[in-house]
Amino acid sequence: MTRTRELQGYAIALALAVLLPFIEGFAFPGLGLAEDFRPIFIFAILGLGLNIIVGYTGLLNLGVAAFMAIGAYSYGILTCDIYPFQLSFWSATAATIVVGALAGVVLGLPAIRLHGDYLAIVTLGFGEIVQDALRNLETITKGTQGINPLPSPRLFGVDFQSGSYLPWYFLLLFILCSVALLVRNLERSRIGRAWIAVREDELAARCMGINPVRAKLLAFSLGASLCSLAGALWASYLGSTGEPGNYDFQVSVIVLCVVMVGGMGSILGVMLGAVVMVGFNSIVLSGLSDLLARQGILSGENVFAVPGNWKYFIFGLALILVTRYRPEGLIPSRVVKIVAPKKAKGA
Amino acid sequence: MSDLEVFVQQLITGLSNGMIIALIALGYTMVYGIVELINFAHGDLFMLGAFMALTLIGVLGIQDQTFATAPLQCGLLFVLVPLFCAFVNGAIDHFAYRPLRKAPRLAPLVSAIGVSFVLLNIGLFWGGLPMDVFNNGHAASAPKDFPALVSNDNLLGDESNVGFTATDLLVVGVALPLMVGLTALVRLTKLGKAMRAVAQDPTAASLMGIDVNGIITKTFMLGGAIGGFASVVYALYNNTIHFQMGFRVGIDAFTAAVLGGIGSFPGAVLGGLVIGLVRAMSDQYIATQWTNITVFSILVMVLVFRPSGLLGSRRREKV
Amino acid sequence: MSDLLQLENVTVRFGGLTAVDDVTLTVPKGSVHSVIGPNGAGKTTLFNTVTGVYVPSEGHVRFEGRDLGIPFRLRTIALCAFVALATALFAVLAVNVQTIWEQAIIANYIYQQPFPWSKAMGDAFVSLSTLSFYDGGLPLVFGFVVGGAGTYAVWNASRLTPDKVAERGVSRTFQNIRLFQNMSVLHNVLVGMSGKHRTRFLDVLLRLPRYYREERMATADATELLDFVGLKSHSTEKASALCYGDQRRLEIARALASQPRLLLLDEPAAGMNPTESESLVELIARIRDRGVTVMLIEHHMDVVMNISDRVTVLDYGKKIAEGTPLEVRQNPKVIAAYLGVEEE
Repeated sequence: MTRTRELQGYAIALALAVLLPFIEGFAFPGLGLAEDFRPIFIFAILGLGLNIIVGYTGLLNLGVAAFMAIGAYSYGILTCDIYPFQLSFWSATAATIVVGALAGVVLGLPAIRLHGDYLAIVTLGFGEIVQDALRNLETITKGTQGINPLPSPRLFGVDFQSGSYLPWYFLLLFILCSVALLVRNLERSRIGRAWIAVREDELAARCMGINPVRAKLLAFSLGASLCSLAGALWASYLGSTGEPGNYDFQVSVIVLCVVMVGGMGSILGVMLGAVVMVGFNSIVLSGLSDLLARQGILSGENVFAVPGNWKYFIFGLALILVTRYRPEGLIPSRVVKIVAPKKAKGA
Repeated sequence: MSDLEVFVQQLITGLSNGMIIALIALGYTMVYGIVELINFAHGDLFMLGAFMALTLIGVLGIQDQTFATAPLQCGLLFVLVPLFCAFVNGAIDHFAYRPLRKAPRLAPLVSAIGVSFVLLNIGLFWGGLPMDVFNNGHAASAPKDFPALVSNDNLLGDESNVGFTATDLLVVGVALPLMVGLTALVRLTKLGKAMRAVAQDPTAASLMGIDVNGIITKTFMLGGAIGGFASVVYALYNNTIHFQMGFRVGIDAFTAAVLGGIGSFPGAVLGGLVIGLVRAMSDQYIATQWTNITVFSILVMVLVFRPSGLLGSRRREKV
Repeated sequence: MSDLLQLENVTVRFGGLTAVDDVTLTVPKGSVHSVIGPNGAGKTTLFNTVTGVYVPSEGHVRFEGRDLGIPFRLRTIALCAFVALATALFAVLAVNVQTIWEQAIIANYIYQQPFPWSKAMGDAFVSLSTLSFYDGGLPLVFGFVVGGAGTYAVWNASRLTPDKVAERGVSRTFQNIRLFQNMSVLHNVLVGMSGKHRTRFLDVLLRLPRYYREERMATADATELLDFVGLKSHSTEKASALCYGDQRRLEIARALASQPRLLLLDEPAAGMNPTESESLVELIARIRDRGVTVMLIEHHMDVVMNISDRVTVLDYGKKIAEGTPLEVRQNPKVIAAYLGVEEE
């Protein structure tokens, strides 16, 4: 994919995203499609965070949901009026980004020296630890109740709690675009090159003066801070952190799906991946459920008849098929070619 | 109960659970040893094995029997479930992993996560089957009761404060011979020799006329079969199964494999026993809800201080 | 000429195997020094020791008069102590976070009041100081030990790392080409400049003018280097698309990008035909003329004899001869090592 084609892609995506609510309001009022794009934007931010870690640096992180939970809960603690902090939306969000980066460093320091699959398992373990800890530290996190209610942001006097979904839609779109722009700045720079070099051949990168531990740690904590930001937005958007179980392994795998299906290392691809995978989950499956329920077909007795029960199947199958038939994803990356079979390293 | 009795009780519980974990860890270690892949789906395969066992119980109609009254049918579980798991694991290797042999290392792992999710979903659907043992399909995602085919009476007598039951005995009786047999198979037979050769260097092995893919499939089947035994034992020991149980048990088993040194058979067994004991002691002396955190902290510390595990050997990158 | 690199009694052991055995040699500034010897003689291991991939079991590697490794000094102890204390504090806080939260935050918080922060801090300290041994002392000791030992283990494993050696001015190529195959030719060279960047993270993230200036300069330097090795016309191609000889040249360009004072070439002529190796000799001469000292492992004797100022011969890890190419060629020990000796 050439540079111009890529820029065209960005322009078209942005135009579509901006116009979607108006097109829908004009042509199909009441469809509720644009409304359902809000979680997609949040998952796109998560995907971009994971993309830095797995796409550029080649570290498989299976604990994305944990960072999301850390973001959501620190946002909750910092804003909810049952605690003394009570920061505003903006300062709390900024704080969660820092908290996420710190959490990334704390996990990264011991884990970063591990290779491939070991790292994957440790991050997965970290995800479980965070869930358990949030559940157990009841005096702070309110256990399984979750922290609520959380205040909505205020911006230019717009009330985010009003009936319209548009303020949230455009706020999330704006944040997503800023994140994408910043990530792209890093990707096309010495930092991005160092990440890719470390992934391609760590020893050679080392001998060229790159400190791989520092490069990986930077990627890890940047990814973590983006996931944390997404968690804060998620909690703020829902008005509650929800229970710790909402941030389980399944969420991490959905984010992994978003990145794999969209294309590892491809910013545009990750965003498309979010539309396809999360859109499938939150729009198609839930729409199908509604439809079946309204037709009276859905009895709730037959497991097969509940579309939501096919969720694992669809995400699992997506991962298997993509790795086998289209490992570069829907929109292959221009800078990252993770997929070419590696030449056997001579002994 | 005196302090000592509490300790001994936890020791027994820990060792029994540790044996089961060790059996599953063997599945991870065998596969990792030969293709350097964490077979993420192994835990869910173990879960499917337990569902298969419950289905067989329903089909054979032995819900209300025990080993004493229907030894033949109960024994059949130990034949059919491992066969089923071996077949499924072999099929998974064929369809999901074999096409990715030459792909970058992360690709098969991602595929394995995908397989794990697919198996998870199959477990969910399986629990909704219209059979008596599955509550006739009601509440598919709920935990299922597994009939107590082996009695839970205390073998040490009702007066004893320390419980040691026939299920504990069953675990030891199944796990120990399997571990010994597996070690003998790898050390002594021609198949074992071929497996070790493929693990060392697949290219060289294939040049020596070894059917590498065949050996890998056989390894997967063997690991699956051991997982099948583990699932029957687990179900008989805990008397409840759930479609999401594979994830947690799988992580414990993987931790055990890494702790012992992945690729090493005695290591997997040792790691399993250690993890079982740590869990039991943590339940007793820290708090149940912190047990998972304790286990993971151990995993992280082992990987930081001794990535090759207790009994594993280090590998050095060639330049 | 002053000595750029000095090896003093360097020994490298892997378990029971001694790959490099008590080797002493010096490389003067501005020279081309070759290391030859039969396969398995320990030549590459020697290179790996110089570049910090392996830590020598015994002996010293001195570059420009200073030891390449980082010695165990007060700074290391201070670092270990700092991390140990931080981990200990973290462990105590993690174990008691609920108690402190209850006594300092919840006890002082009444809905909608100015929160008494100083009192809360005081309460937190009180609740910390009244902890039992089980809750306070044990995690403290445990965290201290784990943090300190972990830091020491990590430090020990990385005290002589290739990136630090590269920053000091030693660069290398690899026996089996290790380019970043999926990156472009130009980007490979740019990665070689990694140690030289002076822009900060924010410059890059926000694309401040400083970033553009540096990127422009780096690209110009990289293009000059590609021109130097004769690959300028290939700069946008993928590295894996280059032919074998060009890949070797690209590796040299990448190694030169860090502006090294010592360049280690590990069998640069392997797999080259006579014409290619002739132009390689010419390239090495031009590199030397740039002021870069070259150390060379090579099996092609015509290359070695043409370009080297001095030659060291290794056999079974031991240095068996050293001298000018002519001296070495006539040394009976060298002939025996290459051709074998008849047993008598």
